[in-house]
Amino acid sequence: MSKSLLLGFITYSLVLAGIASVRGEFIALALPFVVYLLAGFLFAPGEVKLEATRHLSTERTSPDSEVDVTVTVTNHGSHLEEVLLDDVVPADLRVRLGQSRHLIRLPKDSAYTFTYKVTGPRGGYGFEKVKARVNDHLRMTSREVQIEAKGQLFIFPPVLRLRHVAIRPRRTRVYAGTIPARVGGSGTEFFGVREYHPGDPPRAINWRASAHQEDVLYANEFQQERVADVGIILDGRLRMNEFSQGHSLFEYSVQAAAALTDALLMQGNRVGMLVYAAFLRWTVPGYGKIQREKILHSLAHAKPGGSEVFSDLEHLPTRLFPPESQIILVSPLHEDDLTPLVQLRAQGYQILVISPNPVKFELSYLPKTQNVKLAGRVIQMERTLMMQRVQRAGIQVLDWDVAEPFDLVVKRRLSRPPAWLRAVGR
Amino acid sequence: MTIVAMILSIILGAGSLAYGYFQAGMPDPARWSVLLGIVWILAHWRRYYWFSGLGLLLTLVAAAYGVWNNFTTIWMLLGALGGLLGWDLSDFAMRLSYAAPTDDIQGMERRHLERAGIVALLGLGLAILSLVIHINRLAFEVAVGLILLAALGLTRLVIGLRKY
Repeated sequence: MSKSLLLGFITYSLVLAGIASVRGEFIALALPFVVYLLAGFLFAPGEVKLEATRHLSTERTSPDSEVDVTVTVTNHGSHLEEVLLDDVVPADLRVRLGQSRHLIRLPKDSAYTFTYKVTGPRGGYGFEKVKARVNDHLRMTSREVQIEAKGQLFIFPPVLRLRHVAIRPRRTRVYAGTIPARVGGSGTEFFGVREYHPGDPPRAINWRASAHQEDVLYANEFQQERVADVGIILDGRLRMNEFSQGHSLFEYSVQAAAALTDALLMQGNRVGMLVYAAFLRWTVPGYGKIQREKILHSLAHAKPGGSEVFSDLEHLPTRLFPPESQIILVSPLHEDDLTPLVQLRAQGYQILVISPNPVKFELSYLPKTQNVKLAGRVIQMERTLMMQRVQRAGIQVLDWDVAEPFDLVVKRRLSRPPAWLRAVGR
Repeated sequence: MTIVAMILSIILGAGSLAYGYFQAGMPDPARWSVLLGIVWILAHWRRYYWFSGLGLLLTLVAAAYGVWNNFTTIWMLLGALGGLLGWDLSDFAMRLSYAAPTDDIQGMERRHLERAGIVALLGLGLAILSLVIHINRLAFEVAVGLILLAALGLTRLVIGLRKY
């Protein structure tokens, strides 16, 4: 019940009691309440015309970094005796220093500025409104207004710098890059020997091979290096990423996807990103820094989710990826994923699987009992067998123990294409 | 500052009622009003802010009952006024709990106490004046007219406040 209604009820009751009993004392008892009501009415705020502006110290940051949020509220209306300002902080963001709620007095044409620091996990956050509750000094009148003060904050996943990621897609694009194109021409890596053609630089002549023939000259040919199409698939299926006691592998997958995106775009490739979770979030392939921003935005919003349709990889929309391009799947991987992966490989895609190891991850926080160790060994053996089957299908696999930094693992395992891939030349 | 003023108001309200009832030879209700004051303060301490509305209603019912039974009116009046102030200050203390430590809490407290004090004094003054001044001759029509005017004024006032 509001204050005015309660006081109105009391005053009426006392006045009626006074009239009914013809006793002035009841009226006397009612008089302080009447004065209180009158005071509230007289000092009620007039026109409420508030305006708010918001400034964020940065709009792009990394997890757990502090961001200053500065809000200025200006009063263009009448004098306001009591204003409770409550800046609505998006869920998941935490106020680390300062307050987002203030109780102030705001005279006419004056402004009030307050600042607080927020921090939070990876995500995209939108600041929308500042709530203002305007009261008179007795709170007989109360009015709530919502003042628009928009702001956006993107907390991107941390991007690890990878020096080089060796990929060998079957088909490359026409522009010069760093991916061996399986085509002879100008480059740095030796590709083969062919007959010398007029116009070839003299330094290309292979004198040793030419010495075997009397009237034919041979020239060295180098492998052309070009840019390639790369599609990164981030597996956000809930059943793959969520574990007991609220632990999740998804943040590691996001971290790996961000690092790979950065490295591959730096090499000049055309990169697209598909987040495969409760629904598909597709970032159209592109080049350069703008594409990096787009993919990081997509990763900032990525959340693990479950759905009946996307519970396995069979519904992977392969038409999104150019034929014979490189696909990088970041997924903890499940036994059921083997068939769709083999099908992808059969369609001509070169596939690299980055697999955060769920067994080691879960064992890292489970109690180290005999039973847990034994179960861990059994599941790890099953996983190793599955990995071997995947590799036998011609798919490159990186089994990543998330206790190790991703950049070190990539440096050790992915800075050169594996020997078997170089040997088969596929 | 607000808490001290609120406790003093509750003590004033509950104490006046208790004294009035005790003076009238009713010690049991007097004890009940003291208990009401203690429970009210404890409820505020435990952050049961809704209790202040109930406290106001109970003090007012006690004051009205006292007036009905011809107990000393001034004590009943002080009891009701104490209840009103206690209720107001309890609500204000709740609002202050939303303030940030950097806000001008002391300034707001000072201004609120000044205004609440003026309102209380004005109300008390008018009430005492109404008890002192007696109009012996008032035509029935005039009395009815005044009552209607008061009812109309009150209704307009409450409607005006409800608009916000």
